[in-house]
Amino acid sequence: MDEPASRWRRWPMWLIIAVALAFLYVPLVPSLVASLQGVEPGQWTLRWYGELWRTPLVLGAFRASAMIAVLVGILAPLLGLLAAMSIRELGVPRFILLVMLLPLFIPGVSMGLASAFLFRLLGIAPSLATIVIVQTLWALPFATLIILTAMTTFDPQYLEAAYLAGAGRWRAFRDIELPLIASGITGAISFSAILSINETIRTSAVQGPWNTVPTYIWSTYRQVGLSPVLYALMGLIIIATVVIVLSFLLLGREARPR
Amino acid sequence: MVTAVEPWARRVLLCLPLIFVAIFLVVPVGLTVMISFLQRAGLRFLPAFSLASYASLIGGARLEVLRRSLLVAIEATALSLIIAYVIAYFLARKVTPAAARIVLVLFTIPFLINYIVRDVSYTVLLGRTGVVNTALMAAGIIDAPLDWLLYSDFAVLLGLISAYMPFMIFPLFLSIGAIDRQYLEASALLGASPLTTFRTITLPLSLPGVFAAGLFGLVGCLGESAVPIILGGVGYELIGNTITSSMDVLNYPLAAALSSVVILLMLLLMLGWYLVFDMRSFLGRILEWRA
Repeated sequence: MDEPASRWRRWPMWLIIAVALAFLYVPLVPSLVASLQGVEPGQWTLRWYGELWRTPLVLGAFRASAMIAVLVGILAPLLGLLAAMSIRELGVPRFILLVMLLPLFIPGVSMGLASAFLFRLLGIAPSLATIVIVQTLWALPFATLIILTAMTTFDPQYLEAAYLAGAGRWRAFRDIELPLIASGITGAISFSAILSINETIRTSAVQGPWNTVPTYIWSTYRQVGLSPVLYALMGLIIIATVVIVLSFLLLGREARPR
Repeated sequence: MVTAVEPWARRVLLCLPLIFVAIFLVVPVGLTVMISFLQRAGLRFLPAFSLASYASLIGGARLEVLRRSLLVAIEATALSLIIAYVIAYFLARKVTPAAARIVLVLFTIPFLINYIVRDVSYTVLLGRTGVVNTALMAAGIIDAPLDWLLYSDFAVLLGLISAYMPFMIFPLFLSIGAIDRQYLEASALLGASPLTTFRTITLPLSLPGVFAAGLFGLVGCLGESAVPIILGGVGYELIGNTITSSMDVLNYPLAAALSSVVILLMLLLMLGWYLVFDMRSFLGRILEWRA
């Protein structure tokens, strides 16, 4: 199937992919351009980005987003790892996978609303903790699937060999399994962190007085409208996402033996 | 496979994710359904088994919102499925794994970037004085700005498709890639045309992926409140922003009832997926591990 004729016939497909990608990437350009534009037309400036650092609300949103992303980036992969192991070991794999995928099947607004009801009933005031819980729930299916996929590419006989050699469960996990599924775990960590940084609907239902970067963008957009500073903030969120994805890919390439 | 007695602590640890989902998702969803039956008395809610919220849902404008939400969600999901299937098929069958990986990453990045950023930009691009209209008019293709580009069904569909289509490629790519190539060769040897092979082998065998991707798209489109607000314009109501606006006026039973309807629909579809399709194609190797 690699003869020149069929290769030549592929260009319409590449065109479709290019158009689809253009629809996704072109809308990122206006925010970036607007964030760099000065007051005079044709003038370029970084002052709106500088302005961000002088806006206490934005700084607070940065701090909150960063803390939440770190926590979700730890909790979701950890729970995902346990879930993947329980799928393997507890004897009801289909059921556990179904439960782990549930957050994917509950629409965002409904999930935010339901969480808000629960926290109100329990008398838990909205806080960073409630945001972390909701976002961890949202990231959990993705983290579980990524780690599970890594686990299926790994031969369980290695574990058997470790047990035969006298290793305990923990030792076998740490020395044999963990290095082999490491790429899945780093993937789950970066995916969870990025999902956390960008999550808006579920977060806005349980945020209370706290703001993350996206909820700040969302509420400012609705109440005040667009401004160069808001564009700068959007520019930052684009850059942050791209940097995390690329650094994960580069790290992954180095970690891969072949 | 392990002779040592299973310590109970290990089992509890392994059950943690299940407990987490049960407490923070299953219980809240049950709570939503309960609240939807509460009776509203002024600003207070009385414990009752009242169908008032559902009645107000069926009568009048909200039924129209529900109908339109379903229609828009189904349209957006169907269009996304077609686009994503074509792309996934091409990536799984026609290009090298390395090239497929790069393209998949390119589709992942915009899915991860907050879609509010993208939707706001669409308003800049598609408005009456936006880039698209200006360019079309300068090129002499149109005389007056196109009105239907923004604050329209078109804009909402564009917003929904660009938000959820990229990720729908993944389950489709996985399910098409998992089809044994020997079936395709056998089909070709027996004289079937590529189209017949696609219709009788590839499509049926990739259905679990199609269903998973479709469900993912539907959930996204039905749970969306930002897209209709930004791209639909004033008065464009879908179920997502209707729920948030009933919350804003503190009508919890109504918000809960709307939410319950959507959740019930999704759970039914999910159950159908679970019962009809075998997850063994994905879980196969893990199932074998149980000794």
